[in-house]
Amino acid sequence: MNTQIAPASPVASTSRSVYRSLRKYFNIFRIALVERLAYRSDFILSSALRLLPMLTTILLWTSVYVGSGQSELSGFRLAEMIAYLLLVHISRMFSSMPGLANNIALDIREGNLKKYLLQPLDMLSYLIVYRVAHKIAYIVTSFVPYAILFFLCRHYFDHLPDVTTWVAYGVSLILAFFVGFYFEACIGMAGFWLLEVTSLLYIVNTLNYFVSGHMFPLDLLPEPWADLLKCLPFQYMAYFPAAVFLGKVEGEALWRGLLAEAGWAIVLVLTARGLFRLGLRRYSAFGG
Amino acid sequence: MPLANFIRYVRLWLALARFALLNEMAFRGNFLLKVFVEVLWLTILLLFYDVIYSKTDTIQGWDRHQYQFFIGCYFAVEGMIETLFLENCQDFSHQVRTGKLDTVLLQPIDEQFLITMRRVDWSTVPNVLMGAGVMIYALRQSPAVEIGLGQIVLFLVAFGCAILLAYSFLLMLTSSAVWMVRNQSLMELWWLFSSLMRYPREVFQNSWAWPIGRVFTFVLPVMLTISVPAEIMVRPIYRWEYAWWLVIATAMMLAFSRWFFRRALRRYRSASS
Repeated sequence: MNTQIAPASPVASTSRSVYRSLRKYFNIFRIALVERLAYRSDFILSSALRLLPMLTTILLWTSVYVGSGQSELSGFRLAEMIAYLLLVHISRMFSSMPGLANNIALDIREGNLKKYLLQPLDMLSYLIVYRVAHKIAYIVTSFVPYAILFFLCRHYFDHLPDVTTWVAYGVSLILAFFVGFYFEACIGMAGFWLLEVTSLLYIVNTLNYFVSGHMFPLDLLPEPWADLLKCLPFQYMAYFPAAVFLGKVEGEALWRGLLAEAGWAIVLVLTARGLFRLGLRRYSAFGG
Repeated sequence: MPLANFIRYVRLWLALARFALLNEMAFRGNFLLKVFVEVLWLTILLLFYDVIYSKTDTIQGWDRHQYQFFIGCYFAVEGMIETLFLENCQDFSHQVRTGKLDTVLLQPIDEQFLITMRRVDWSTVPNVLMGAGVMIYALRQSPAVEIGLGQIVLFLVAFGCAILLAYSFLLMLTSSAVWMVRNQSLMELWWLFSSLMRYPREVFQNSWAWPIGRVFTFVLPVMLTISVPAEIMVRPIYRWEYAWWLVIATAMMLAFSRWFFRRALRRYRSASS
């Protein structure tokens, strides 16, 4: 039988397809949220344990300042240093992507990639929506422990930033999410060429811990190194948002920093998409 | 016969270790990569403290080389934990969730042995050697410290206690997976928890954190783990009661963690049909 479906008006069909597409991604979001909350008691334990490294770093740095007999190290007072080390956790809350690269590489290796190729679903868009849901669930559920932590540590924050800085901080965090997501996605894409990316990921993450300023503010490093590391994208995953919040980056430098961060985000989006396209040419859909 | 039984377990463990070594050597490239990551990590750790010691001469009485010894000691103990136990414990939550633990429980062998010591991870053995290297380097750099044979023997005893003490904490953390269906990685939980071992216990002194320091020294004595062996070696004016306490605490925590583990197993409800 030769049935022909009457074409709807183009405007209506576009808006409906946008709606469908949105609903699809909303459902992915909802499922990921429920999944995350299923493991709440373990989540509470890990949140409690997460406080321990913060406690020990605060004590370590207090001891360092006492030992040095100085009130300022590389432009950071003790209170600022501790505030920095707390704020880095907020940066990492947005920029860290546990499991992303590994899952992409696994999908490639085991041939699961075809589920994206056969369905009207773009892999990177799917993964980013999925990740946003997990991040929101994570931020909402860890809001209480973090609120308690920041309340207990409130005396390390002696002056709160003004409105402009708050806005810049928010923007830098959102961009940090994109930088972190697409950077890790790029590593996952290496799975098209490498048999396994776990080791590569370990190496990158270990280095990242240092070069992103997660361990200490990059300003503490001797001179060529501090400036060099500030030219790389890694600082946006930890150092930059925290420095913005503390008012260490101001005025023109702030806008240039945000622009550079956005620039890196775009570069990484394009790289991840490019690698995906290149990789698909090599992809052999291994598996049944 | 307890002795015969003990020998049986030693032989079994040796066979398992040999098997794991064969496995590891089949993927030599991977082994080298893993070692490279660990070298990188140790380098970063040493660099971090180098930056810190460029700003100060002392951290609560620990000078640069004493602290290096501490880091070496931490790296070696952690290396032993990773070699002997960590990967096995990591598997446990998966076994609980999927019901694969059934097979383990049916074996005619001690469950704790089988669950926590089944596989030896040879790729982290070099960590122990690297840690030892850092310790020896640090000792050579601090001429003030004179080391006698007695001190070395004491250190080795304390080092052994440190491994067992850390193991008993790891076992308790692992067991908790039965109550809390776990999807977090145990490695991460262990990393977070072991942050209490990574700094000398003196950093808890003279501050608002003093009561917390007391709890982790006397109630959950995790802070003794690295501090005591390192202090025996590099800080001669040392309070001996802590060395005794380390030995007693190790024995107590080993017994307690075993009890805790067995209680957890009793709560295990298999899965599927």
